[in-house]
Amino acid sequence: MDTTGTTGAAADVKPPVLELRAITKFYGEFKAVDDLSFSLQSGSICGFLGPNGAGKTTTIRMILEIIKPTSGTITILGRSSALEVRQRIGYLPEEKGLYKKMKAWSVIAYFATLKGLSRKAARERAYELLERYGLKDFADKPTDALSKGMGQKVQMLASLAHDPEFVILDEPFSGLDPVNQQVMEEVIRDIARRGRTVLFSTHVMQHAERLCDRILLIAKGRKMFEGAISDAKRLLPRRVRLETGDAIAALQALPQVTSAHRLESHNLGPTANGAVEWELELHENADPQAILQTCFSQGIRLKSFNQTDPTLHEVFVRLVGTEAKEAAFR
Amino acid sequence: MKYALLVAWREYAENAKTKGFWIGLFLMPAILFLSIQVPVWLEEKATPTRYFVLLDQSGSLAPVIESSLERAYQRKMLSALNEYARKYGQALNGTGGTPATPDPLSEFAEGTPRALETFVARGGREHFLVQLQPRLKPGAPTFREPRRVFQRADLPAGISPKAELTAIAEELRPYLRGSTKSAVDGRPVEISAAVLIPPHVDKLIVRPAATPAPGTAAQANTRSPGPPDQIQYWSINASDFSLRSEIEQAVNTEIRRQEYLARGMDGAAIRAVEQTYAAFASLNPKKEKGKEAIDTMDTIKQWAPSGFVYLLWLAIFVIIQMLLNNTIEEKSNRIIEVLLSSVTPGELMMGKLFGIAAIGLTMVGAWMVALFGILSWKSGGASELAGQLLTVLHSSNLVPLFAIYFLLGYLMYSAFILSVGSVCNTIKEAQNYMGVLTMVMMVPLLTMTFIPKDPNGSLARILSWIPLYTPFTMMNRATADPPMIDLIGTLVLLIFSTAVALWMSGKIFRLGILRTGQPPKVIEMLRWVTRRDG
Repeated sequence: MDTTGTTGAAADVKPPVLELRAITKFYGEFKAVDDLSFSLQSGSICGFLGPNGAGKTTTIRMILEIIKPTSGTITILGRSSALEVRQRIGYLPEEKGLYKKMKAWSVIAYFATLKGLSRKAARERAYELLERYGLKDFADKPTDALSKGMGQKVQMLASLAHDPEFVILDEPFSGLDPVNQQVMEEVIRDIARRGRTVLFSTHVMQHAERLCDRILLIAKGRKMFEGAISDAKRLLPRRVRLETGDAIAALQALPQVTSAHRLESHNLGPTANGAVEWELELHENADPQAILQTCFSQGIRLKSFNQTDPTLHEVFVRLVGTEAKEAAFR
Repeated sequence: MKYALLVAWREYAENAKTKGFWIGLFLMPAILFLSIQVPVWLEEKATPTRYFVLLDQSGSLAPVIESSLERAYQRKMLSALNEYARKYGQALNGTGGTPATPDPLSEFAEGTPRALETFVARGGREHFLVQLQPRLKPGAPTFREPRRVFQRADLPAGISPKAELTAIAEELRPYLRGSTKSAVDGRPVEISAAVLIPPHVDKLIVRPAATPAPGTAAQANTRSPGPPDQIQYWSINASDFSLRSEIEQAVNTEIRRQEYLARGMDGAAIRAVEQTYAAFASLNPKKEKGKEAIDTMDTIKQWAPSGFVYLLWLAIFVIIQMLLNNTIEEKSNRIIEVLLSSVTPGELMMGKLFGIAAIGLTMVGAWMVALFGILSWKSGGASELAGQLLTVLHSSNLVPLFAIYFLLGYLMYSAFILSVGSVCNTIKEAQNYMGVLTMVMMVPLLTMTFIPKDPNGSLARILSWIPLYTPFTMMNRATADPPMIDLIGTLVLLIFSTAVALWMSGKIFRLGILRTGQPPKVIEMLRWVTRRDG
């Protein structure tokens, strides 16, 4: 497991798209980001995860040079200043907003010109994007006539209009209905398919699980995990769930089983037929088959037997659950 | 710089689409047009020809009154003709030098009683126009004679002119109240006034007690003059005295002439005395030697800057509001983040400043075009004021100064606006700060009317040296030849303090624009300014 980013043998020929080294940011006395280092390879989709207030937006703002870190260095697309390469970066901020009186196409075109497109090219590109994503009829409407989801789509298109090679999306799914969330996922996959790099923040793990090659998990400004999703899942013990009316002392005695507890989330006490649901946590390299065999040999009658991998959600809760709760009450 | 211009372009294009901009653009010219046009309309239309009944039972005063009214009308005619000649006549044989022959119309040029007399004696309007004819500019419109404001109407049919005045007055009442119409040339007209003169005028004459009436015994002053013993002026319009005073003056002049004659004075001598007058002129020691005379032009020159101060105030106030709205919109919609991932805060601020400045310049530019347009259009015709205003504008540096002070004033106040806009999330939050600004900005509006009376006095000079007020106050003093030190010194100070204010607001802007939550305290903002690094 490699939590320190790609170094040494893993060094690619290509330099990383983004590299943060020991970034710290203070807001007065408050340490928003604490000694954060990570790097991002080109052509990947990276999920930037963390509970509310973990420092995701602050980090993204520092990457984009909207604010300056208190200490540490950032290299983006080979430069130390994001503004030097602004034409090659696309950014969708967390809080979405558009000029209310401007027409949809002209908002997109305006941001594209700020990213270096000529006025004419920007206009053409705006219409092209709006048509591609089903907003052609709204191109000439002022943005305050659009629904929230449409507005967000327009803003997304605005951040992509100049075809950036590195796209940073801060909470791209928030405020979207399930259908539009799917559309957004599709847009992100589209970007990646064309060899672009995507970094997006979210606290909804399902999106990250479906989209990401890698994730970066932070809490309280500190890095908790960086790496592939499969590696993240390996951080949690393997588990089996079983349902039985019999005693399971024999299973608890097994060396592979580290703990066992009754699941009472949806049923208080035994079910109608007297069965109880158990969850057993296993050692890292344990084979669930061994548990099954023990059940047969010990005469434990099973109503069900499930071997589940931990979800990213569980990884998240396990890794940052306490911090997240603390943050919520701070 | 390229990015600042892109921001500026958007600010310009978007603001140019707002209703506020177009209202601002057209409102001022509309107000100007109306303020020039309405008096003209009023003169032409709103005061209709007024018909009056004149009943003179004495038989001696009616001709005098009529000829006096006629003379008043001829005076008006002459002045209209002079105006017409000034506008459409060319100088006689004159190409720069003095005319080869003396101008035959020059004797009418001044509005003296003598000129009027000559005018009437030579044949009035016809004579004048014949004289003017050869030098009329091609395409000049035909002369339109002024309307007679007062027209005599006959006593309404059915009222006996021989009856008692009290009875006649009683019978005239419904006519004067407007409930019954009389007829002039077969058309029904409203009688707006009636002048009733009793049979024995000499009995009405009031003389000082010590002076006995010539010839007859003096009892006049011993009687208490009741209504039948006075010349009666009947009208429901109690506020308009122009007809009454005209008639009163005519009657009294005639009565005095009769007195003189009764005391044995020579009629010709009396006429000669009546035409004597002393020339009187108001002079201004500040004006060029030989041109010290004060005329309406000087009054206009004194007050025109106040108009520009008002325009300046209005323009600055309107566009700093735009700047505030736009800054807060970007902040409250969080568009600012996308912007700042593309441009630096400095570029953004510059762009906004330029864009809104361009909007403002477009607006005041349109105002100036409208001002000159309307004035030139109107000065060719009905409005004398328009012509004089135009001359003042051409002969002074009001317009260039207006442009300079507009730009500097805008930049000065926008420094404040950008600071406020960057730290506030909503217009509501900004309102607190704007209240202070509005109070500060009220001062030039209040002093606007005082400064022209003493344009180089202490109040004016002190205000001029306060950079916040320099644009308004110096604009106000523009035509009063302020001392050079005031003109240059305040301008340098204004430029310097504007630069400092913008630099300070740049620091606040950079830090404030990304801030969310409560606006910071003023003391905190000052700390941002003094901080070395953002």
